[in-house]
Amino acid sequence: MPRRKLPNYLRTHRKRTGFSQEELAFLLGCQNASKVSRYERFARLPTLKTALAYEAIFGASIRELFAGIYEEIEQEVRKRAETLAQKIYTENPDLLTASKLDHLRAIIFGPDIIEENS
Amino acid sequence: MKRLPCDNLRILGIAPSTRGFGFAVLEGEEELIDWGVKAIRRREYKNEDCLRQIADLTDRYRPDVIVVENCHVKGSRRSPRIQKLIQGILVLASQRRIRSCRFSRVQVRKAFALSGTLTKYDRALEIAKRFPELAPRLPRRRKPWMSEDERMGIFDATALAFSYFR
Repeated sequence: MPRRKLPNYLRTHRKRTGFSQEELAFLLGCQNASKVSRYERFARLPTLKTALAYEAIFGASIRELFAGIYEEIEQEVRKRAETLAQKIYTENPDLLTASKLDHLRAIIFGPDIIEENS
Repeated sequence: MKRLPCDNLRILGIAPSTRGFGFAVLEGEEELIDWGVKAIRRREYKNEDCLRQIADLTDRYRPDVIVVENCHVKGSRRSPRIQKLIQGILVLASQRRIRSCRFSRVQVRKAFALSGTLTKYDRALEIAKRFPELAPRLPRRRKPWMSEDERMGIFDATALAFSYFR
């Protein structure tokens, strides 16, 4: 089983750029570095705007920056997708239901599996 | 020594020094997640403060393995304080159910032998090539009258952590 990722890799990316926490706080539009420190210590989740600012600063996607949190959410979504797929499944689905089921399968199994089978 | 399968293992390397310790966190062989030098100011409580900071690092990164120097080999010239600190790190790892691993200086040197590194500085250069983010932290080559730059602790710690994969 692959090892769980850290909640975020903000500190890693900041250190790679060489920016101090104060400099990064300025780029993010924060008043001081304490918020940056809390994000890096996994003590606080940034807002969507701040997460997008991180993406703009580091050139890495939110998914990559918050890899551990993304993994958790992806797992939860997958479970809910399985439940919904069971709920709407029918032997002769109409076009709309078939489209939904395809999309749910992509969520559950990953888009690559769907492409291989089509 | 039986090693864990290496897929995305998180390894924390710790290199104690006179002023504190250097550390490096590797996730797999290719990704350096964090690195740095922690300087401890309180002389009387150096080991206790070091262990507190190391405990913080283990809480934050939840490493699979902690790697330190094996200072109980013949020829090791580590001071009694640092030997005690390394023992304290191993106890901390055991208390937190984190696997620990010790490499002697000879073993670390052998891990880098294929790249032709001769001195500690050559090894640091090799590490800076492999992990370019460390290049700005590389000090100048030490002259005989100079003490070791504390930033070398980062490279010592990275070398220890990287040795786990060799």
